[in-house]
Amino acid sequence: MNRQWIPRIAGILAVVLLFIFPFIYGRADYDFIMHLWITAFFFAILASSWSLLAGYAGQFSFAHMAFMAIGAYTAALYGNYIRILSAPTNLCTEYQIGGRWLVILNPVGVTSSAKDCLEIAKESLPVGTIISQPSIWWGVLGGVLMGGIFGLLVGYLVLRLRSTYLALFTIGFAEILRAAISAEIAITQGQAGLELLPLFPRGLTLFGNTYSSTDKLMPYYAMLFLFLLCMAIMLRLTGTRFGLFIRALREDEEAAAALGVNVVRYKVMVFTITAMMAAAAGAIFGHYIGIITPNILLILQMSLVIAMAVIGGLESIVASAIGAIIILFMLELLRNSFDIGPVRVDMTLWRLVFFGAVLMLTLRFRRNGLIAPILDWFNRAGVAEETVAKRQAAPTEGSD
Amino acid sequence: MEYSSIFFLTLLWVLVWGAIGLAVTPRIYLRRDKDVSQTGLMGALIGAAFGPIGLAILWVFTPSYKTRWVLLPGIIVIFILSLAFARADPNNLCVTSGSFVASQLVNGIIIGIIYSLMALGITLIFSILGIVSFAHGEFYMVGGMIAYFMTARWFPGVNPLLAILAACVGTFLIGYVFERLFLQPMHTGEVERPGEYAILITFGLAFFLQYFVQATVGANPVKATRYFDFPIVENALFQTSKGSITFFDAVSIPNPRLTAAVVAVLMLVVLLLFLYRTWTGKALRAVSEDKQAAAVAGINTEGMNTLAFALGSMLAGLSGAMLVQVFSWLPQVGTIASSRSFVIIVLGGMGSLPGAFIGGLMVGLFEAAGTGCIPDPTRAASYIPAYGMIVLTLILLLKPTGLFGKEL
Repeated sequence: MNRQWIPRIAGILAVVLLFIFPFIYGRADYDFIMHLWITAFFFAILASSWSLLAGYAGQFSFAHMAFMAIGAYTAALYGNYIRILSAPTNLCTEYQIGGRWLVILNPVGVTSSAKDCLEIAKESLPVGTIISQPSIWWGVLGGVLMGGIFGLLVGYLVLRLRSTYLALFTIGFAEILRAAISAEIAITQGQAGLELLPLFPRGLTLFGNTYSSTDKLMPYYAMLFLFLLCMAIMLRLTGTRFGLFIRALREDEEAAAALGVNVVRYKVMVFTITAMMAAAAGAIFGHYIGIITPNILLILQMSLVIAMAVIGGLESIVASAIGAIIILFMLELLRNSFDIGPVRVDMTLWRLVFFGAVLMLTLRFRRNGLIAPILDWFNRAGVAEETVAKRQAAPTEGSD
Repeated sequence: MEYSSIFFLTLLWVLVWGAIGLAVTPRIYLRRDKDVSQTGLMGALIGAAFGPIGLAILWVFTPSYKTRWVLLPGIIVIFILSLAFARADPNNLCVTSGSFVASQLVNGIIIGIIYSLMALGITLIFSILGIVSFAHGEFYMVGGMIAYFMTARWFPGVNPLLAILAACVGTFLIGYVFERLFLQPMHTGEVERPGEYAILITFGLAFFLQYFVQATVGANPVKATRYFDFPIVENALFQTSKGSITFFDAVSIPNPRLTAAVVAVLMLVVLLLFLYRTWTGKALRAVSEDKQAAAVAGINTEGMNTLAFALGSMLAGLSGAMLVQVFSWLPQVGTIASSRSFVIIVLGGMGSLPGAFIGGLMVGLFEAAGTGCIPDPTRAASYIPAYGMIVLTLILLLKPTGLFGKEL
């Protein structure tokens, strides 16, 4: 059998295993391992979409976590400030939709004991008024759209900027967003963070089993589905003209434009698509974690994503996703501190030092990452022989 | 409400006419078949300063670009905005107290000089290697840490000059080794897309250094004691105490800041002498002008790359060593310092030495004004990191070459 088939079979096996994993894994650290998997999927989405942006299209953007935060914060603001009532409050900003009222609460800030308009209106509302939160999935969708809008905007703004200038601009964008979120305490509650509901606030009953809202099963599957969806979209895209064109952009923008690639359109498109993926991951992860703070925008988080993509293989989407998952698990496993003689080695910090060193050495000596060459070894099996055979079969053709 | 209405209306007026000038002026110059470079900036500033009248005169006469057509309106814009600010918020300390303004100005200039020292390093690296070192803030942090450890932990009571020297040597060596090991292949063509490689590898170094220091030193803030005590002098012009100096009973400068600024100025002079008077300095400038021609003339460009990176990193380490007696020091201080130097070099023009100096002064003054004058201090404090970044993004969008940069 040709070894080209090995990664495909392994991939299918891995997906099947991931799907049945929560049911076959029964050890005591179930919750912890499930948490690791959810986080791993989250970082895998971010790293692989960043590799589409940076590795394929050559746009070294440092704003990826900013798009993620836009998704998470949109979902959180939606969940915190929008309610559906069966009677009007006559106090808040509200819109009548059918027989119901969509109420937008006024922000009251984090420290003040002031009541928002709904709290005040509750005293005068007719008895039996139903106050409900609309489905959180609309918030997730809104987050994805908002991420897309910002991706489009940034994509248009950076059209003229290359490498270093682009990196500086996107760092600036992320920092401005972080400062704005930290400063607008009245709306975003600043460093205190915004709380989000769990993905299924009332729990879920499936096949006769009831799972409570804090069970890790639902976020696991939500994240896994999102991960597989993003991978499918990206792999499909890279196989089409889109993938070819954005790689042409990376190699030489002028030449690509001269050959008829619509540079503006594809650059903006790749920004929008990757921003939407990051925003979707952020919104789901925010609902899983339950609270988001501006610290998710710290440059450290962005460097983790970059390091994952680089160590996995910047120019391969699958490799950077696998790299992200492996690195996340390794970082957790390396957490245990140990002693060398009298010196205590605090691994919670040294693992990151080690990780930084691996990042630099990978960049220096293995530009294609550590995972991508393995995949290539399988995928490109027989390609050389095939090419040689083709050349020998038609030795004179096209040799002028 | 009084505050916002007057000030923001003025701001809106300035912005709208600036935008109109920016958008329309190059077109008019193009139609007249004149040189359009810089006319966008000129139009924007003249529009912002003189409104429709200035723009009309500019569009009728279309004078060719001169620095004074940018400088003069720029000063007038700042003047208009401060006037509007003073009218809008008459009780602000910045409006009522002259001595407060003077001390803010002096402190802004002093901190700006120290910032420019750091930005000079990053701009030196950019002008010769053509890359931005994203690890620059970490060199600054490491320099401060070395100085702190020299004076406070390893050799208490050592001459602070030795500590500063150690910080310089340490950061110089780290920069030297890093350039040799990781940046050298960029110039020999071993690496595809060197620009992106440089971003990632310096970013990796920043990550590594930050966590290395955190793992070895710990995350608690440290602060070096004052390096020098002033002698006690008292006369009509100024009076000193050990920790500060006061001019005219009004402008008080803390000792650590003043010594840091004096060392920064000395270092600037030394650097300029080195760049313009010695053979090596001339070779460095030659490489930044034209790499091939310099190589033909017998200059070892590889060596110059290494020297430039090590020197630039040393300048960051030096400013860290000077500032560790002013601010409390954490492994994370480099991040803020990095972003500040990015703002400075983009403002001044990437790779321009005078640009870095003037950009540093401007950022120092801007921060002093921002912390001293803006009402609603808690919110302003949260936004302070963003001000610089807003300037950075706007300049990148409008005029990526900055104030003094070479045209692309």
